[in-house]
Amino acid sequence: MSGETGLLSGAWRVVMRNKRYIFWFWLLNITLAEFGTAAYRNSIHAVLDNSLYADRLLHGFNLIEYFELMARPETGSMMSSEMPAMYFALLFMVATIFLMPGVFRQYTSEYRVSKEEFYRTCGKNLWRFVRLLLIYAVIAIPLAAILFGIRGGLLKAADKSTNELLPFYVGLIALAVIFLIMTLVRVWFDLAEVDIVVRDQPIVRKSVGAGFRYSRRFWGRLLGAYVGISVLALLVLVVGIWLWHVLVPASSWVGAVLISQIMLILWLGARFWQRAVAAEFHLREMLIAPGFSRPADLEPVPAPTPAMPSPAAGG
Amino acid sequence: MALRKFGILVVLAVGSLHISGYGQAGAARAKGAPASGLEIPATTSAINSDKPLSQRVVWYNIEAKYDAKTHQLDGSEVLTYHNLTGQAQDHFPFHLYLNGFQPTATWMREAKIQGTRDTRYEEWKKEYFGSDEIQSFEVVGQGDLTAKLHYIQPDDTNKDDKSVIEAVLPKPVAPGEFVQFKIKFHDQFPETQARTGWKKDFTLGGQWFPKVGVWWQGAWNCHQFHVMTEFFADFGVYDVKLTVPQNEIVGASGVLVQEANNSDGSKTMTYHGDDIHDFAWTVSPRYKVGEDTYNGTMGPVKLRILMQPAHWSQEERHDKILKETLEHFEKWYGPYPYKTLTLVDPEGQEAGGMEYPTFITGDTTWWMPDGLHFPELVVEHEFGHQYWYGMVATNEFEDAWMDEGINSYTEVKILDDILGRNASVINWFGMNAGERDVQRFQFIGVDDLDPMARKGWQFASLNSYGGITYGKTASVLLTLEKIIGEETMQKAMHTYFMRYRFTHPTKEDFLKTIEEVYGHDLHWYFDKAVYGTQVFDYEVKSVDSVPADWYVEKRKPEKKGETLYESTVMLHRKGDFVFPVDAEVIFDNGEKVREHWDGQDRWVKFHYLKKAKVVSAEVDPDHQIHLDRNNFNNSRTDEPNRAPTRKLANYWAFVTQWCSQFLSWWAV
Repeated sequence: MSGETGLLSGAWRVVMRNKRYIFWFWLLNITLAEFGTAAYRNSIHAVLDNSLYADRLLHGFNLIEYFELMARPETGSMMSSEMPAMYFALLFMVATIFLMPGVFRQYTSEYRVSKEEFYRTCGKNLWRFVRLLLIYAVIAIPLAAILFGIRGGLLKAADKSTNELLPFYVGLIALAVIFLIMTLVRVWFDLAEVDIVVRDQPIVRKSVGAGFRYSRRFWGRLLGAYVGISVLALLVLVVGIWLWHVLVPASSWVGAVLISQIMLILWLGARFWQRAVAAEFHLREMLIAPGFSRPADLEPVPAPTPAMPSPAAGG
Repeated sequence: MALRKFGILVVLAVGSLHISGYGQAGAARAKGAPASGLEIPATTSAINSDKPLSQRVVWYNIEAKYDAKTHQLDGSEVLTYHNLTGQAQDHFPFHLYLNGFQPTATWMREAKIQGTRDTRYEEWKKEYFGSDEIQSFEVVGQGDLTAKLHYIQPDDTNKDDKSVIEAVLPKPVAPGEFVQFKIKFHDQFPETQARTGWKKDFTLGGQWFPKVGVWWQGAWNCHQFHVMTEFFADFGVYDVKLTVPQNEIVGASGVLVQEANNSDGSKTMTYHGDDIHDFAWTVSPRYKVGEDTYNGTMGPVKLRILMQPAHWSQEERHDKILKETLEHFEKWYGPYPYKTLTLVDPEGQEAGGMEYPTFITGDTTWWMPDGLHFPELVVEHEFGHQYWYGMVATNEFEDAWMDEGINSYTEVKILDDILGRNASVINWFGMNAGERDVQRFQFIGVDDLDPMARKGWQFASLNSYGGITYGKTASVLLTLEKIIGEETMQKAMHTYFMRYRFTHPTKEDFLKTIEEVYGHDLHWYFDKAVYGTQVFDYEVKSVDSVPADWYVEKRKPEKKGETLYESTVMLHRKGDFVFPVDAEVIFDNGEKVREHWDGQDRWVKFHYLKKAKVVSAEVDPDHQIHLDRNNFNNSRTDEPNRAPTRKLANYWAFVTQWCSQFLSWWAV
């Protein structure tokens, strides 16, 4: 427990030392979301901006009026609003794949990584991370499909019971189990990601193997840390939405933006905390493993010094 | 004066019977003693009245034994029918509704194509099968006619449909005379797909016995069972002995007369119903039972609420809304005369939201926050059918809007009053929805394909049926309030109920009653709203204000309150539904001007010369028109207000951002 606490607090310190990443990722997140929302915004503004009827959406949220708005031909299909949002969500994911090696480099370093080193690490590890993602997809997607299939079967069986609450509880418990299993898979691949960066590992499967071994060996400690953070994130979301409902007047755009973005920053921070746990764990447990030698690439890159004039040139 | 008129009518009636060759029977009837010796009892034990309330045409005496394991029922029915058709009858059609649940039946064929409210039929399962098989059919005094029964299909050419069977009697039944049918039948209930059947250990017995058609408007009205239509039957007396396993908790139409345990582990429940036109029952060993009494204007009404155990915490909600609804109906439309009302909370949703005389089903789930008023909505609606179907027994096959639609209208009125106009459906977590908006949305969500006055099974689709029958009718009647006034409308509804309760009124009866109470012709409205499919859509096309001295080269800078403006407001009738509308024009000095437009032309322009600019214009500023298919274009502001868009876009952005993060959370 103390080890886990140490891991969590150590990771927390790492996150706090590098808050800038949360900020930059949030900025990227909100910027892409703004692009993703543009189609929706454009589709509704023509209907709403000059209509007094829109007042019922501003001062309150009349659900039927919202459905009516979305059903108007001028608003266009839901698909036309959803697709851009989805594309920009994917873009955020791609950006995360690209930038995460740099973040891990910083999280496993005791010095402030320069921009050059950050992007160099990102570029160097991009293809490795893509390969890792593919391996993750090959494992996680079928696993999730099987788990959700089992859940579906259980739900179907529970639905035959005369106890109406049984399917709900079965579904909830099954969901919790799926969450735990998938979180463990996430731990495994987070360790692999850190391993690739820290060891400068060109053979991705070796890091996958290392991640697997360590996540299996320390599964309780790692899962505990990850689940704890996830629960906290969920609480942030629930409490945040409740506060939004209770504190922010229906027509206050500023208030709504403020509270929603605070929630999203904290949510983002939670995931960075998990990644920091993986980084911290790697430094504590995997880096000291026998046979591991610190790659030269891990040494700090000296700050560029001004070029000295060559004596010959001076002659 | 009234007595003299009645005397003349009796003389004319007796005279006509002699002329038509049935003088003997007519004379016997005039003395109050039918030749057959049969009669329909004038019992009143199930109603708060000391005399019958309806002209009783049928008396069903049924004994049935239900096997809860196989979901089969064996029954024997003695039906006494009073021929009040005014002519001799030798053809008698009977509904066998449960035969609709067969793969080649019309009901199932329609359900396969369109789906039902709750089920999509991807593949046939044996549990779907239902049947109502006549094992023997005897007409007292005329012998066994079982072999001569034949299925008929009055609505389509589907020879496989067995939902209507016809008996041709060797001897016609004289007008005014009685005839008695003795029928043995066997039912197989389907797993509940719609309205009737079993699910787990619950059963709802609806449309479960052979039921004679209605002689209406000079012909037999006995339609096949369709996926979109409901029912139609004559008033009468029901005596039903239902034998079920002893562990079952039973609910049924009418009043419980007797309960007796049998030696074979079963029990027999005897029910009696007066002045009703159907009989339904339910069994489940798990019901939790709540009981209460409502003191109605005609006497006490025993309320029995059968809840699923997981919903027991909502019993009080169900009881409360039931009593409040009863109170409103009695106050606004007329008295509830029955001594009982059973509210059933069924297993699953397929049997939910259904109405039978003195017996209704609700629809809820175990999780239902107080701010979600769906249980209240369903209970109110189904209770409303005690009036619009139960007592005012319109033809649900042909005039579905007269029960579902009128009921949806009164549902809006009553829920508005009880739960609030804008929150009667949802008032939860910052979101709200009112029933009148829900009804209108249901209507505008479907195309202009069908008029309200269309036979139920002839609608273009199930969606169109729902949108028009429920949503459009409610919207049409709410809009009618704008024309005739809310008070007159309420008076008209009360008059309609009091005049036509315990009868089978037509649409014309309803519309003429409104005209009569209003005192003016309304066909200009009904022709389009009820019989037509015209599209109702008015818009404020433009609002413009320009300085009156715009042409002066060196004019003064514009100043509020000083500059003279020429303003124009243009209204446009986009649809073909011509309707007079009001419009309100608001100026930037706070002045409001009301305009009236008869809507005859396609558009109209209003011009103003004022020291103020137009801020906004709005058609139907009092929001009394519920037929308009687009409320967003009913108003126009001079300056855009981006706040609503900003608010919604922020919601969208929040969801997009969160989804992005969620995706990245699990993927990277």
